[in-house]
Amino acid sequence: MVTLTIDNQKIEVPEGTTVLRAAQQAGIHIPTLCDHPALTPYGGCRLCLVEVDNSRTLQTACTLPVVENMVVRTVSPEISQSRQFVLSLIFSERNHFCPYCQVSSGDCELQNAAYHEGMTHWPLQPNWKVFEMDASHPYIILEQNRCILCRRCVRACGELVGNFTLGVEERGANNMIVADLNVPLGESTCVSCGMCVQVCPTGTLIDRRSAYLGKEVKVDHHLTVCVGCSVGCGVDVQTLDNNMVRISGNWDAPVNAGVICKVGRFQPFDEDRERVRTPLVRKDGALKAATWEDALGVIASHFKPLMGKNGDGLAALASTRLAAETLYLFREIFKDGLGCDMVTTIEEGYPTAAPAALADELNSSFEGKLANLKEADCVLALDTDLIRGHEVAGFFVKRALPNGVGLIVVDAEEENDLYPLANWSFKIKAGTQTQLLKGIQAALVKLGLVVDQSIAQPDAAVQEAAQATAVDSELILEAAYRLGSAEKPVFVYGKDASLDELKALLALAKSSGASVISTKGKANSLAAAQYRLDSPFEIKNQQAAFVALGDAEPSQKLVKRLEKAPFLAVQASYISPLTAVADVVLPVAMWAEQEGHYLNLEGRLQKAVQALQPPEGVRSNLDALQAIAEKVGVKVNVKGWQKALSERTPATTLIEN
Amino acid sequence: MKAYRSMVLVSSDPLSMERGAQEVFDQLQKEISAFGLKDEVSLSMVGDVGRHDAAPLAIVYPEAVIYGPVTPKDVRYLVEEHLYKGRIAAGLQASQRELSGRIAWISARKDTLPAENRVLLQRAGVIDPTSIEEYILHDGYEALAKVISEMSPAEVIAEVKNSGLRGRGGAGFPTGLKWQFVAAAKGEKKYVVCNADESEPGTFKDRLLLESDPHAILEAMLIGGYAVGADEGYIYVRGEYALAQERLRIAIEKAEEMGILGENIFGTDFSFRIHVHSGAGAYICGEETALLESLEGKRGEPRSRPPYPTTHGLWGKPTMVNNVETLANVPPIIRNGAAWYRNIGTPNSPGTKVYTILGNVNVTGLIEVPMGITLREVIAIYAKGMKNGASFKLAQTGGSSGSIIPASLQDTPMDFDSYQKNGVSLGSGALLICNEETCVVDLAKVLLNFFRVESCGKCTPCRIGTQRAYEILDNISEGVSGLNDLNDLSLLSENLARLSNCGLGQTAGTPLRDILNRFRAEVEAHINLKVCPTGVCPMSGRILAYAPVMSHSTF
Amino acid sequence: MAKPKIASDWLGGCAGCHMSLLDIDERILQVAELADIRATPITDFKHPDESGVDVGILEGGITNSANEAVAKLMRTRSKILVALGDCAVFGGVPAMRNFFPLEESLRRAYIETESTDSGGKIPSDPELAVMTRVRAVQEVVPVDIFLPGCPPNADAIFYLLSELAQGRMPEIKDGMLHWH
Repeated sequence: MVTLTIDNQKIEVPEGTTVLRAAQQAGIHIPTLCDHPALTPYGGCRLCLVEVDNSRTLQTACTLPVVENMVVRTVSPEISQSRQFVLSLIFSERNHFCPYCQVSSGDCELQNAAYHEGMTHWPLQPNWKVFEMDASHPYIILEQNRCILCRRCVRACGELVGNFTLGVEERGANNMIVADLNVPLGESTCVSCGMCVQVCPTGTLIDRRSAYLGKEVKVDHHLTVCVGCSVGCGVDVQTLDNNMVRISGNWDAPVNAGVICKVGRFQPFDEDRERVRTPLVRKDGALKAATWEDALGVIASHFKPLMGKNGDGLAALASTRLAAETLYLFREIFKDGLGCDMVTTIEEGYPTAAPAALADELNSSFEGKLANLKEADCVLALDTDLIRGHEVAGFFVKRALPNGVGLIVVDAEEENDLYPLANWSFKIKAGTQTQLLKGIQAALVKLGLVVDQSIAQPDAAVQEAAQATAVDSELILEAAYRLGSAEKPVFVYGKDASLDELKALLALAKSSGASVISTKGKANSLAAAQYRLDSPFEIKNQQAAFVALGDAEPSQKLVKRLEKAPFLAVQASYISPLTAVADVVLPVAMWAEQEGHYLNLEGRLQKAVQALQPPEGVRSNLDALQAIAEKVGVKVNVKGWQKALSERTPATTLIEN
Repeated sequence: MKAYRSMVLVSSDPLSMERGAQEVFDQLQKEISAFGLKDEVSLSMVGDVGRHDAAPLAIVYPEAVIYGPVTPKDVRYLVEEHLYKGRIAAGLQASQRELSGRIAWISARKDTLPAENRVLLQRAGVIDPTSIEEYILHDGYEALAKVISEMSPAEVIAEVKNSGLRGRGGAGFPTGLKWQFVAAAKGEKKYVVCNADESEPGTFKDRLLLESDPHAILEAMLIGGYAVGADEGYIYVRGEYALAQERLRIAIEKAEEMGILGENIFGTDFSFRIHVHSGAGAYICGEETALLESLEGKRGEPRSRPPYPTTHGLWGKPTMVNNVETLANVPPIIRNGAAWYRNIGTPNSPGTKVYTILGNVNVTGLIEVPMGITLREVIAIYAKGMKNGASFKLAQTGGSSGSIIPASLQDTPMDFDSYQKNGVSLGSGALLICNEETCVVDLAKVLLNFFRVESCGKCTPCRIGTQRAYEILDNISEGVSGLNDLNDLSLLSENLARLSNCGLGQTAGTPLRDILNRFRAEVEAHINLKVCPTGVCPMSGRILAYAPVMSHSTF
Repeated sequence: MAKPKIASDWLGGCAGCHMSLLDIDERILQVAELADIRATPITDFKHPDESGVDVGILEGGITNSANEAVAKLMRTRSKILVALGDCAVFGGVPAMRNFFPLEESLRRAYIETESTDSGGKIPSDPELAVMTRVRAVQEVVPVDIFLPGCPPNADAIFYLLSELAQGRMPEIKDGMLHWH
């Protein structure tokens, strides 16, 4: 620990802390523009200048490491004059006329800084140069005229996301933030994660949709969980008058520390499906609006007689985007209460089957955590594309690549966006993954990095694997060498990995000291697996089916299989091909309109809060199920939901947030 | 060492090469052999020696006769007349005119200059820079051998410290102290970096050192590496210095062949490798931390300090960054001892300094003189006076680290401390000598234009300040100055110095400060009277935007 | 001591700052008690006293030669000059025109506006003031006090006036400081 004095206040902070962070911890405000807590210090804007004893000039607090017995002053006439001068220069550079801007009066850090310094005017006038605005991107506008060149966006794009789309072009006054080699943002390699928008201190990088809909300082903030996938990123859903204005990453969230992807930030606003606003009941071949009472009555009249029947009874499906409470209640009603023999989820346990089976077999959890992935020095991705899905986990890998993290990709898919990023990408024939993994294992032995008596002839084993997978044995050896010399390797496997592959992977993990993580599937796949709602779905002679669809989008295959059911009831947020073939449709809330818990891919239990009121007549998924339970006369108690998550050994230990 | 009767040097600067210097060289080689003079006459290529009007040049010693422009056709006659028959090849001599550059120096040395003292340029123009043998014959690698066989790293650092050597890049930081910091820094891996990204306007001293004596830099880096415990070095050479890069690569190759570079040098545990890295044309990469960023493959932007490169340099490892000229001082110091070195120059700034002289003087070029010589002496002795007998108005000492030196300071000794005491600085060693026809507003405008174009744009004061200062100066020179110009200029000058991140911005305000402090009346004439006293500024009264403002009353 | 004299005028602006001044409502009487309100665009006297005033207030940016003359006159006749509102302080909304060629803005204003019939043309009488780049007042004459805001709110204006009327220099900060 280091002790220093800031504004006569004695402060103790760990070694390596900057003066700025030390001051912030002590509640001392130092104005900044280019600094952002999530990014590496830059020292560009020069607003955070402070006086340090025995220092010839003012120092930038954001980059200055603390030193024992350092004496710092953050307030003095010289400091204030300097900060005003720096702000004068910034205001004179481009068009910073506040009345022209959507973020002024609250969200603009530049304006706030000027107010803080008591600037009543600009000592230097702008030179009236006009810069082109880039509106080519579907979600983001790059308005160069408001840019202060703090490079937060550039750092966020590189350091947080690893995409390196944004950069700085030219020198001096000709500096310009550009995408790739100065192409329009919409035509660039941008992945639309919007982190640049989230860190921009001014109105330069703005979310085009939320412009003028409500400033961040004026809206209601709801810290919740993204249900886009199983990563479970913390998000800040911002609403105004029961309208969703924008979504930002939650900087304090343990999973993602503020980083989210387009699925969490922008795609919820692309929602163009029509809402189900009232219960619907099929009458004379057509769905007609009905009351909840009527609709529930119809459901009960079909379900009650089927109670306890096997094979020709009732089938029930739930979406894994639903909260744990809802899934638990769903199981209570249909499995325990109505005694159905076909109760599962839309995913049918497919993404969790292998890890769940292995955990059962081992009778212990074997998977690691996302924190391992963030700190990994070598990553092996098996049957998973972390760019097209679970993208934030992909960001964790991408952003580490420039630091020399090795990436090995094994997949049988024709396309995987990790291939071009990988140091070794093994695009091999489906079904040969196990052999490749065993080949790498043998290569480790051959290289003398691992002792494994079971592999008597490592050389031959490597050759054998190379032949089976049609991969150059040199490459297997290279990848193995990288893996074997890593200190914190992590293996990530996807839903297509078979139990055999998984066993081979685990063996390899054991010998190379790697942690293993699986991507699972949707937001609550793991919870569904824990509730054993993970069996394959099959319609045999069932007389009726029920789908708790929530806001999920039904696949064509699902619709096709369910059409056969003589009676189909669906609780859904949106009109879809599935509701079109249903006999009863109950209107339920979408993700932001209800609360509940989610178990992410690393077993972290997180609460999603309600950010919006559902439209009138629309109930939460939990309430709708409760109403069904009442109507069919099944006694349920949702309270046991959390305990039930531990009914079986989870693939990864459960963490409570 | 073989004794030669005559020595022929062929200029090999880019212009000479373009005009066929290589062919001339090849032809000379052929003809010298043909006349059977191979053992009597040495033939080498030398760097830029000036006299571009007559390139390519062939200079024959010991008579110091300059021939040029020489074509391959002339060679036979030249060899026959001068080298075989021993008379000057009439008609081929470069036309008589005021000599400049190195040639002026070569020509002038016949009269033995009073203050001349070649320590760093000892071998420049004398040896073939592509020959390691010639370097070794001229005391080369003697210092390295001494260091490795007789001295401990601490002793080497002590010797450099005792010599009082100060960095020649402009800031004048004590070199021995820097070495000591790097030696003391924690870490297994350390680097030595030679800053050869010489881009200060008007400065070409490093270029001459690199082109004419590349092994001296390698030797100094080896000594530095030994002293601080580094095993790898980089020479970051300005992109435009293609010849210097080539000569360095040849030198490295030859040194490696001889086992002077590489593993277990001279059979000891000491190993050292040197890489040459070409810059890409950014002035800012001459700033040591921007140079390191650039070496790492990133955008060349200066880092924030602390931490300093001595502890967190290249790839975060302790790194010793030294300028070419600084390094060139090291082998002579080791060879002759710190005490000898201290005899040259002034007590606080020992040694010699290489200056490049340009501007309104009779002789321009490069000189090496002891520290502490005065500007008046330089102008009178080396520059052979002001051109056309004009009077001296000011000198600009080159680049971002330099100052505008008024005539009143021409008797101040040119050393780090004396200059600092007078609020000016030595800079990189360029001496732009200006006569009274020079307009200070124009000069400042030219300098600020340079800085605004070369600023990396990382920090606010430099990125915007240099641009605003340039705009104001431009307006002043056009006679359309505004209400607050004088005030804004002095604000900019003061704050650029105080608030910028690196040396570029910190000193970009210096020309502003200097003209406001020392030539204020002249600046005010521009602003208040809309008159440029020297008649240099256009004073067009050009329209800033829209129609001119007419001050008629509507009442 | 005689009551301090206050005069005001407007340049290239929308008069909104003067409207905001009127928003101080009955407090205008307090100001009138403390100070001698002389020429303003909304009273009978239009030009500041030749003998000078203590406080001159300008609203609007300098958009043409006439504005410049008014600003210079106000400057010469007042001890303390106040730039009132964003246009006077920064150039404000009129300064948006600086981002386009003048001809383009004039064409848009006089010919291309939806409400203009086919006979629209750009006024070109030599008697008219000459258009310039839009400038903040401080670019033309030295300004002593800046009160930004679009418009500055009535409380800030009242604070400014009452301080000046009582011979104190107002300090514009915190809640009083708004740029739009």
